[in-house]
Amino acid sequence: MARGLVFLLVLVFTVVGQSLSPISTLSLDSQARFKAIFEQAKPYADLSTAHYAILGLKLLNAPIPQPQEACTFLKEHLDANSIQSIYHATTAAKTLGNCKVPLSNGQQVLNSAVTDSSDVATVFYAVSALAALGLTINSAEVAKALDAGLKKDDSVLSSSLALHVASMLSNETNVDKYHDLIEDIVAQADEVGEKYLQFDSLQQTTIFIEGAYKLSGVVNKAPVISEEQVVLLGNYIVSRQSTQSVRNAYFVLSGTKALSDNKFQIPVAFALAGPVAVTSAQPSISVRVSNLFSASLGKLIVVATSVQSQSEGDTAASNLPLSGTSDPSIYQVNLMESKLSPDFYRVVLDATPSQADTRLIGLADGAVTVKVTTQVTLDTAEINVIDKDQSITAKTMRVKYPEKVTKGIEADHHQNLVVKFSLKDKSGQPIEAHQTFVRITNVKTKQEVIFTAEADSGKVYKFTLDVAESGKEYFKDLSGRYSIDLIIGDAVIQNPFFWNLAEVSLQFPESEARPSLPAGSQYKQLPKIEHMFRVAEKRPPSVVSNAFTVLVLAPLVLLFLLWAKLGANINNFSPSPSALGFHLGLGGIFALYYCYWTCLNMFSTLQYLTILGGITFLFGNRLLSGIAQQKK
Amino acid sequence: MSVNLFTVINKFYDEYTTRTPQKLKIIDAYLTYILLTGIVQFVYCALVGTFPFNSFLSGFISSVGSFVLAVCLRLQVNPANKSSFQGISSERAFADFIFASVILHLVVMNFIG
Repeated sequence: MARGLVFLLVLVFTVVGQSLSPISTLSLDSQARFKAIFEQAKPYADLSTAHYAILGLKLLNAPIPQPQEACTFLKEHLDANSIQSIYHATTAAKTLGNCKVPLSNGQQVLNSAVTDSSDVATVFYAVSALAALGLTINSAEVAKALDAGLKKDDSVLSSSLALHVASMLSNETNVDKYHDLIEDIVAQADEVGEKYLQFDSLQQTTIFIEGAYKLSGVVNKAPVISEEQVVLLGNYIVSRQSTQSVRNAYFVLSGTKALSDNKFQIPVAFALAGPVAVTSAQPSISVRVSNLFSASLGKLIVVATSVQSQSEGDTAASNLPLSGTSDPSIYQVNLMESKLSPDFYRVVLDATPSQADTRLIGLADGAVTVKVTTQVTLDTAEINVIDKDQSITAKTMRVKYPEKVTKGIEADHHQNLVVKFSLKDKSGQPIEAHQTFVRITNVKTKQEVIFTAEADSGKVYKFTLDVAESGKEYFKDLSGRYSIDLIIGDAVIQNPFFWNLAEVSLQFPESEARPSLPAGSQYKQLPKIEHMFRVAEKRPPSVVSNAFTVLVLAPLVLLFLLWAKLGANINNFSPSPSALGFHLGLGGIFALYYCYWTCLNMFSTLQYLTILGGITFLFGNRLLSGIAQQKK
Repeated sequence: MSVNLFTVINKFYDEYTTRTPQKLKIIDAYLTYILLTGIVQFVYCALVGTFPFNSFLSGFISSVGSFVLAVCLRLQVNPANKSSFQGISSERAFADFIFASVILHLVVMNFIG
């Protein structure tokens, strides 16, 4: 809970801290450009262009070229029937001074335009014209018409115009309800990216800002616009300073003017007025502390509360007072006196007016970013040739900047080539550079390979080239002479440089040439594919096989011996036809089996078997039944 | 112990030679022959190898099949089993044996390759 609250507070302060200072101001260059735009608007395209150009020049305090010609233009182009035309012409004429547009019954025409049925813009044009002509304004009538107009249309533009009208009414009129409109209108503005606060157009935004401060000045009551909103509105107005049109240039100018010159709220901008880089030759930074118009805010006491390194994040210096210069808006401080190391720094600034001024917004925590640069030097580079296997340094050479060694360094694929160097800043401290490249170029083919050198913890740069491996990977094993260059650069280095320090001879291993195929070989006849039978399994020697054949047959002999011993005989055999048939048939069947094994197939075997079997069965049947009969 | 065993075997042999009919002795001789043939084949297979496997199998099946058929024949011919095989004469049993052997060897020949 407490942590969440702290976080929220931090967030709030961060947002406020960021947005309370305008991003930029209407630069003097832009003001000069606007002046040129207004001056070159001649010959004027129409009455409104003339109006804006003349008013714009007036805002810049610049003389209007050929005012009589301009006056003539206004007179010629005045359309007495158009309230808007009368507004443009009379306002411009009043600004020109010494120019009177011919308007015989101006009071009558303009008063008739202020009715309950007219819209707020018409009322605004009419009242403005009346004011410009110095005619009397019927405040009660105008207020009535204004209320009616607002009832019909309460858009941002019409409400903003109502602020202008209200500011021109007589002192007796109560305009507080119009002053209350300011809060409603600003609530309708769109915020873009926490940077800008804007209405639909530049014109609307400017008319609102002008009207709000004008009316607030009249009633002497601060407008209900928060400081953050003021700054964001100012950011939007100033962000449009690249415009090229007369109309928009006028609105940028008048909006900026309203935010720089009013009784209530004036944003203070901190901006670098000089180069971003701080060098020993230019040790100071110049900061412009100004309003949005880039104009001085009077005498201020400006202090750099802290100078934060952007890479380290720590505060390198604090509470440095800035001194004023001949330009009252520019303050300077010498940063080199704080002995800053080369880096980018965020300088946080506070300003205090010598006379307290409650109007000023964002006096604290303005910030500018600067970089401290340095001259970098490289005294000596060391080139070593080291045997890979034994880690013995075969050769060492020192090269002084900016000399070049061309002889005596050779490395082959058993060796590493090592380049060592260190960079020093002006004070002699070793520093690291953002970009440190080693470029190795083949002298003959001009093929180049770029490597990076890495710094160790002691900020000594070391680059190792494994000759054998890099040859394969990068150099296509092209042995020969190579030149070595160092390329050093960084945003905080003033003198990035390039140094061709050596020419070495590299011997890569001979790449084994790929056997080249003779031309057209792919169309030649391929060798014939022969079918391979399965290799027969290993058989036992024939002696063994034969021995076992004998062994298998041996029991047959034993059988006959046993039978002989038992006294079996064939005495009972009578050569009757059935006995003969039976035994011959049985013998035939086994002979047929032998044939089946050697030459016959199943079908013919079965055919023969049917015949033989039938015969054998018949004879066997007769024989055996005969024997059975005999027994009985 | 060994004397005892010897006398038992002697007694057994005497009994066999005197009490067993001659027909059965002939069949027993045949069975011994078949048994020895099968054993030799098996020894060959164990010592040398089964190649060619189907030949070995058919030879061994022939031995085993013939042995089984001969045992069946012996059972049916044995006068001691007369009661179990009522109505089956020795000749009929012999004819069955022949018939079964013919079928068995047709299969063996088919398988021998």
